[in-house]
Amino acid sequence: MNQASPITTREAGFTPAYSPASNKAFLSEGMKSRIGGGLESLGYTLAGMCLLLAVWWLGGRMVAASDDLYAFADFAPAPTLVRLTDMIRTGEAFQITVPSLYRIASGLFWAIAIGVPVGILVGAIAGFRKLTNVPFQFLRMISPLSWMPIAVMAFATWEGAIVFLIAVAAIWPVLFSTASGLRRIEPSWFKVARNLGARPWHMLFVIILPAISQDILSGIRLALGVAWIILVPAEYLGVTSGLGYAINDARDTLEYDRLAATVVIIGVIGFSLDSLLQLAIAKLSWLRSS
Amino acid sequence: MTNGAHIQTIGVSHTYKGGGTPALGQIDLEICPGEALALIGRSGCGKSTLLHILSGLSLPTRGKVLVDGTRITEPSPSRIMMFQAPSLYPWMSVEQNVGLGLRFNGKMREAGSRIPEVLELVELGDYAKRNVQDLSGGQQQRVALARSLALKPDVLLLDEPLSALDAFTRHALQRDIRKICKELGITLVLVTHDINEAVMMADRALVMKADPGDIEAEISIPIAGDRLPSMAAFGDARRELVAAYEAAAGMAMAEAQSFISQDSLNTPAPIDRLAAN
Repeated sequence: MNQASPITTREAGFTPAYSPASNKAFLSEGMKSRIGGGLESLGYTLAGMCLLLAVWWLGGRMVAASDDLYAFADFAPAPTLVRLTDMIRTGEAFQITVPSLYRIASGLFWAIAIGVPVGILVGAIAGFRKLTNVPFQFLRMISPLSWMPIAVMAFATWEGAIVFLIAVAAIWPVLFSTASGLRRIEPSWFKVARNLGARPWHMLFVIILPAISQDILSGIRLALGVAWIILVPAEYLGVTSGLGYAINDARDTLEYDRLAATVVIIGVIGFSLDSLLQLAIAKLSWLRSS
Repeated sequence: MTNGAHIQTIGVSHTYKGGGTPALGQIDLEICPGEALALIGRSGCGKSTLLHILSGLSLPTRGKVLVDGTRITEPSPSRIMMFQAPSLYPWMSVEQNVGLGLRFNGKMREAGSRIPEVLELVELGDYAKRNVQDLSGGQQQRVALARSLALKPDVLLLDEPLSALDAFTRHALQRDIRKICKELGITLVLVTHDINEAVMMADRALVMKADPGDIEAEISIPIAGDRLPSMAAFGDARRELVAAYEAAAGMAMAEAQSFISQDSLNTPAPIDRLAAN
């Protein structure tokens, strides 16, 4: 290799696609545009939150004014927010949230551990895809909560049954996103890798998984949404902890402000988890916007 | 420095699954170590199929390919193929793409010296840390070339890798690839539709015909040193190749004699001639 000399190509019209000066100008323009876009987005977000609060407040006023519904007046924003502050101060909010997060994490873990490898098989092997298409579509359409009696019988603990229900709900988005990501991989990437001497494990860890990482994360994001929806009714099962249990308990004890505060906690945590995943997707994305 | 590889095909024919007519008839050819050979012909004449068989990415239905006397049954890092698209991995930097073959073959110890060396060779020494998506099409093909050279291949197989590039970049890369392969002693096999590209890069061209794909003519291109379209020898080789191409295709090529040379640059293009009349 040392015998070979570098070849001059600039005279033949080879122009670098990058220059520091143009890049600096581009950055300052880009930064201005990003700041403008961020402020606009923040404005819309605040307006949307104000609208939601206004509707909630109006609903609370109507409930309080009604002879039939006034017992539920604690659903209004003011008592709810007072109780929420109290729950945060005493650590109750943390106490009811941790078991739920643990169940969500366990359910998602199993959904990913099974969904990603099976999704890779579905995407990669046409025969397996044809074989599993109808059974998977059939199973996917069964409401996860309809597995509840079977889960209760099959698992020794309530905890296991809840994690099973979350996993059953969360597996499909992960599996189908992984399979569809794999089918969209550029075929020449495999050809080049084979030609460069890639072994099967190189194909999996160096080519396939990085190539479909965004699809997997998008699937996980959808799965999280589904799992979060399933969590509350699943926690109505025999457990004595978690957000679902807290809601049920608040209803039974007629503490409507605590019930509404728990609903707010569910919304805030669900939204935060979704935002975190969205951030991770943006961070891990290798596709440059044009 | 490699010694290049000697390639021989014996009775190679290929029929795709479900295909009636063989894509390749019966190909017997020999390529000397360090030689640059162009396979040229119309679409569907089987030249890309033959190249895939030479690489080991496809196996022939009948016949065999011997590389340095050994029958090939699978791809090998000693025979690297470059495709029409650079097929770089967009989540990797330039140096990660270039070092991929070394990583797959357990040669990462060599990467520290090898990657800068090949990047210098293709004039992308300053781009090692850059993401490949930030590069132009020509630069991306240079990265693909560096990735191919990093493994010190004996054979470089080109499946029209320059066809999507602009004329200037294409010309520079044609010259560079030929020069690098000659300096390193790599056997070069090139598939192209472009007659100028064949004359620019090859020592010998095989003109192929379709139904079934077979070698129709063999044209030697004995031009020493750097090649320029304005050279008389270049024009002669091109005319000979055009005639063989037309004979294989069974039709005349429109404007076969007009070509980018000093003379033709002074000749109005057909549309201008029409306007002048």
